[in-house]
Amino acid sequence: MRSKFKWIITLLITLSMQFSFAQEKVIKGVVSDSSGPIPGVNVVVKGTKVGIQTDFDGKFSIQAKTGDVLVFSFVGLEDKSVTVGSSTSLNVKLQAMAKSLDEVVVVAYGKQTAKSIVGSVATIDSEVLLKQQATNVMTALQGSVAGVNIIAAGGMPGENPTIRIRGTGSINASSDPLIILDGAPFNGNLNSISSDQIESMSVLKDASSTALYGSRGANGVILITTKRGKYNTAPKVSLTSTLGFAGNAVPLHKMVGSDRYMQLNWEALKNTNQYVSLQTPAVAGANASTALVPRLGYNPYTAATPVDANGNLTTTNKKWDTDWADLMLNNSAVRTEHTLSIAAGGEDTKYYFTTNYLSQEGNVVTSKFDRVTTRLSVDTKVNSWLKSGVTMFFSTSDQNFPSQSGSSYQSAIQFVYTVPSIYPAYRVDESGDLILDGKGQRIFDYGATPGQALNGNRPQLNNENAYGSLYNYKIGYKRDNYTANAFLEATLAKDLTFKTTFAYDKYLYDSFVYASNEVGYASNVKGRVTQNRDVTTGINIINALNYKKVFGDHGFAVDLIQEAYRYKYDALGAQGEGFLPGVQVLNGATTPTSASGYIAEDRISSYLGRLSYNFKEKYFVEGSFRRDGSSRFNPDVRWGSFYAVGGSWIISEENFLKDSNAITSLKLRGSYGELGNNQTQDANGNATYFPYQQLFETGYNEGDNTGVVLGGAVDPNLSWEKTASSNVGLDFGFFNNRITGSVDYYDKKSIDLLYNKPVAGSTGNTGILTNVGSLRNYGWEFALSTTNVQNSKFMWTTGVNLSFDKNEVAELTQKSFINGTKRWEVGRSLYEYYIQEWAGVDPVDGYGMWYKDILGTDGKPTGEKETTKKYAEASRNYSGATSLPKAIGGVTNFFKYKNVDLNILFNFSYGASVYDSTYASLMEGFESSGRAAHQDVENRWQNPGDVTDVPLLLTANNDFNATSTRFLFKNDYIRLKALNFGYNFSASALEQFHLSKLRLYLQGDNLWTYQSHKGIDPEQSFAGTTNSRSYNQRIMSFGVNIEF
Amino acid sequence: MKNIISKIFIAFMALFMMVGCSQDFLDDPKPTDAVSPDVVFTSRTGVEAFISGIMRRFRGQYTRTDAAGLNSMFFARTMKGNDLIQANTWFRDDYANDNREPTYTRSSFSWNYSFYMINQANALINGVEGSTLGDSDKKELAAYGYALRGFFYHQLVLEFCPTYSADKNFPAPPIYTELSLAGKPMSTVDEVYKLIVSDLTKAVNGLTANRLGKSYINKNVAQGILAQVYQVMGNWQGAADAAKASYGGNPTAVLSPSTYRSGFNDISNLEWIWGSAQRTDQSNYYWNAPASMADHTTVSYSATYVNNDFVNLFSATDVRAYFVRKSTSITSTTDYRYWTTRKFKFTFDSDNAIIRTPEMILIEAEAKARLTGKESEGHDLLYVLQKNRDVNAVKSTNTGAALINEILVERRKELYAEVGVEWFDAKRLRRGITRTGNHRIGASASLTADDKKFFLKIPQSEIDANDFIDDSVNDNR
Repeated sequence: MRSKFKWIITLLITLSMQFSFAQEKVIKGVVSDSSGPIPGVNVVVKGTKVGIQTDFDGKFSIQAKTGDVLVFSFVGLEDKSVTVGSSTSLNVKLQAMAKSLDEVVVVAYGKQTAKSIVGSVATIDSEVLLKQQATNVMTALQGSVAGVNIIAAGGMPGENPTIRIRGTGSINASSDPLIILDGAPFNGNLNSISSDQIESMSVLKDASSTALYGSRGANGVILITTKRGKYNTAPKVSLTSTLGFAGNAVPLHKMVGSDRYMQLNWEALKNTNQYVSLQTPAVAGANASTALVPRLGYNPYTAATPVDANGNLTTTNKKWDTDWADLMLNNSAVRTEHTLSIAAGGEDTKYYFTTNYLSQEGNVVTSKFDRVTTRLSVDTKVNSWLKSGVTMFFSTSDQNFPSQSGSSYQSAIQFVYTVPSIYPAYRVDESGDLILDGKGQRIFDYGATPGQALNGNRPQLNNENAYGSLYNYKIGYKRDNYTANAFLEATLAKDLTFKTTFAYDKYLYDSFVYASNEVGYASNVKGRVTQNRDVTTGINIINALNYKKVFGDHGFAVDLIQEAYRYKYDALGAQGEGFLPGVQVLNGATTPTSASGYIAEDRISSYLGRLSYNFKEKYFVEGSFRRDGSSRFNPDVRWGSFYAVGGSWIISEENFLKDSNAITSLKLRGSYGELGNNQTQDANGNATYFPYQQLFETGYNEGDNTGVVLGGAVDPNLSWEKTASSNVGLDFGFFNNRITGSVDYYDKKSIDLLYNKPVAGSTGNTGILTNVGSLRNYGWEFALSTTNVQNSKFMWTTGVNLSFDKNEVAELTQKSFINGTKRWEVGRSLYEYYIQEWAGVDPVDGYGMWYKDILGTDGKPTGEKETTKKYAEASRNYSGATSLPKAIGGVTNFFKYKNVDLNILFNFSYGASVYDSTYASLMEGFESSGRAAHQDVENRWQNPGDVTDVPLLLTANNDFNATSTRFLFKNDYIRLKALNFGYNFSASALEQFHLSKLRLYLQGDNLWTYQSHKGIDPEQSFAGTTNSRSYNQRIMSFGVNIEF
Repeated sequence: MKNIISKIFIAFMALFMMVGCSQDFLDDPKPTDAVSPDVVFTSRTGVEAFISGIMRRFRGQYTRTDAAGLNSMFFARTMKGNDLIQANTWFRDDYANDNREPTYTRSSFSWNYSFYMINQANALINGVEGSTLGDSDKKELAAYGYALRGFFYHQLVLEFCPTYSADKNFPAPPIYTELSLAGKPMSTVDEVYKLIVSDLTKAVNGLTANRLGKSYINKNVAQGILAQVYQVMGNWQGAADAAKASYGGNPTAVLSPSTYRSGFNDISNLEWIWGSAQRTDQSNYYWNAPASMADHTTVSYSATYVNNDFVNLFSATDVRAYFVRKSTSITSTTDYRYWTTRKFKFTFDSDNAIIRTPEMILIEAEAKARLTGKESEGHDLLYVLQKNRDVNAVKSTNTGAALINEILVERRKELYAEVGVEWFDAKRLRRGITRTGNHRIGASASLTADDKKFFLKIPQSEIDANDFIDDSVNDNR
């Protein structure tokens, strides 16, 4: 091993010292395509640094020697290689590039030509990735690939988006796709991979294409292939650097300012006095005036009674007026990214080295993601029959991740939408003047100053200050990821190869939470540090035997594969309390409060085979079968069998189409298969590794005594979830592939769904995970790409993709099942809202109303409805609205004029609804003390006869903002997801600098968004509920790319 | 030739790897954070670990701040009364006497949590009885399970049914005495009480005075639970005997008035017969009502206030008159935030009381006051407690109903905010609770005698998943 390593190093060094001695001459010529000469075509002598670009007349002139290979390349056209002969003149004609059927696509355990694919595979290449700033590579699939629905994770850079390929296929098992990195399941965090390292991403959607990952392929598979060097190329160095700034992608909800807040709150008090306590309007107003400040607890005004008995402000002078959003949200977040890569290859060995540094600030102040990744791949031909390669990858990242989404008190967005501007960021005394500490510094106001009756006790999010917590708390995640992949490929005999692949990855995850010793939730124990260090180790071994043979018109290929997957999760955690100021390490703890640790293992053993046959490369049939044993299931039932069959017919190869001018290529394909899922998880989405064993759980110690409790009920015969999936698709190319595209219809239905079957709570368990129930997802996918204009100066291409997904519960163990804002019932979608229907505001008294079913004599709804003012009486019904979009998709347009190019990607979603609970809370109408309000409360009912949709403001208990269709909104959007505008300097201009490429560009992400419901980012969750998420970022960057 | 040898070598290696991987490859992983039933039921230590685990489940971050174990159920009962007032935060729906619909937290939590504990108790009983432990161990450890099951069935029947004396045939929660995944039909109030009395009798007979700590059940605790059960059933002789046995019969020896003001957070307190003990590393944090709600002197919810009318019941020299005004700036006595109590001190290691000696003394006093010829004994016992709490206490001249009422007031004064005493008494004696004083939510949350709001509706999730229970179960609730 050691000597081999030495040998590789030596080779690497010698590679960069190549000299040429042969006789050189000047070759001249013109490069053209169907429309004429093309300027700017790259002409390179293969294996050297020598390269130039054609001039405006398509002419070139380059030094080369006989036998050299000249490579001509131009965006949108096929590369062409020409060997230099005796002539010094060479005219070259390039062909338009389109999705050719001979293009090679990365598929399960190998590569196939597009022609031979029988399933549904979508691929994006590095060109797509380069035109986006995908801090997390998965987000680049959004809008670029049909059938993939992605919801970004909010405003924290580096967070993983939620990905669904062809809908949600599981309820109680993970619906995440399987990620395969360079052939092996990836166990680390996806945010450790930088997008510049990726050569291509293939999305395998149907049974046939995923079948070889069948045991875990039910939710689709994403294959990531990283860049590698090329044989016989001179070393090429590429440097890319970008600097950009980011802010909110969409505007926030509009909130009521301090003055109106006080007046409206007064009105709510007065209304309550007048309409609930039945005081006269005058008395009600006077009482409201005196009750206002005690209710709020704070008074920012210079007058003791800021609102008089008539609801007018007695003064507008304020000692503070806090804009929480402005304090906490970062509208000039900095993003920088630098990449260096070196690629080269000799006769026998090639390598690729890249390193990337990224630093990006998040939507919320102090949030930041820093990452360094490096990757080295080396491939070598050992001899005529043996090849080997290795990839090593290391990534380290550091995320400062202050609480910004969700419902914890210190969560930034929730704070912005809960605490109005009348509360101060810094502590003030009873007269409203700032209190300073010993050093004369302001002190964050946590709204919990004991003994201070005024300006000391905030009714909302008491004892927290999200702004202060950004500085007083620390939440950080560190991730180190090391991966090594190696393969050895031997040609054992003619047509027979054996390949063994070994993948190892180690992922260290360190989470750190410090809660302040002076303020906030752990101040009464003088601070708390919680630290976890989890080590994940994954090993995957694949042994594959491949036999390929063509007998006349018959082509065969057989794969026999054995695979073993081993995953180990080793968790360690500690917590301590009682810290001195400034001390944030566990050593400083006075009381160590907890230490924890456990090891979980997960293994899969697999045997699989694939057989494919084609006749005249026109008719293709493929079948695959695999058997997998999972350690997550009982030995008796742990082996699952998965299979898929598929076929395709290249219609355009038939005689009747062969000579067609209009139809260049036409292919029909279909597949059916049954795939598996063993990703059992608990209610919080954490993996469970022994879901079939009835055990007593540790960790329930009582005082000094060790304690265990009986774990939840289990089904000892729990086994694989399977999904039966069929796909029919048509690929087409018209007019010399100027127009290409595909149409797919799919239908996926789960068999033996992993489902937490509800059981009667009186049995001591509320559910048991078992194989029962069924979900169905079906829909259409369309993809189209066209070359609209292509001539020597101007090029314009367009890509469109569209997906229509539908979901249906096919089988349940009980009639129906309420799940939050939904009710799951056979025949209905998992995503249809089942909530009370808002009936507006009664103009007579301003009270909110809901619809209530009128019941017939049989106690069943007659279909007629009446209104009620009692929320408890309101009927819950299917609303017809769903959180699953009717259609999603994306449109890409690429323009190139001479040296300038522009790429524009829009993505959109249509037909989904969102339940905006943030807006619901803002429209509460002052029922809770001191809670922030939306400007829409201005439209409230004020006098009998007012026709409005906003009820009267009332501090008394009411249900006006209880869950109902009042807060259910259409959530259509179109987003300018990525815009890339660049200028490439011409080769002649660069020659004197010895550069082969210099590109300057502007890159904008999420620059513009149209949305039907404003105030929150349209990307929230598949369930269509909101959770005070931080905002997706709009990023504008300037970049430069140099190659030499 | 060399080529062929290499190729054969590679093929051989491949075969070796295939075989090497399959051997025990899938059997090796074993859970590391859980143990099998064999470990639990083959030794007394194992069973004691299970018992410890169950006791730890008396508190836990189950679903919400107001659904965090037995303490949440007790505090919700407290909230339903007249003596305390809750700000517009956690427990507000209990405070409004409104948290009882089939899909509401209180209904589902009280149901699922109690049955969760009953299931643990059944696993304990069945596991011990089917084990190979010695007979004396078996008897004592099984008795522990019976005590738990009796206790939680009593909580269930209190939460989900009218009181025993109101309607013995009213549908009551299903009875399970072994593990089952299939739901069972509703029982009746009478059947549940028969099971409770049987279980607790077995518990009293099987348990000894020994226990692993004060957060565990021993014979005295089982007697205390039985005393509460008999008190509800109106078995006054049984209640008097069980209560007396529980505290030992010598009231002054088990009272320690000075500790009343020490924060109510320490299980070692002489007066505590049974409690739930926390440590900083085994804390329910801010979910630990009442302390997390009622303590206004430290960082927590500061949400619970005391009714003026209730404060006025205490004499100035009563050790329990430990109230303080929220703020001098709140001057209106109609402001619900006028009074707070300093009874509970909130820290992350605050313990909660479940049964205390004064409660047992007052059960004995009440029972005797109702037993023919024992009224004066009961009155004397009441006065022992009164004098203990207030050096200036004067023995009343009350008899009959007036004496009973005096005892009930004493129970409220002694036990307020601990176990929901006011609600418990009103319910079992079929009286209403009328809201008076400076409540935040007043008359609309009052309860009439036998008000349906004294019990909860059966959770929808149970109805949906239990073949024997349908929507009609809530028709009369």
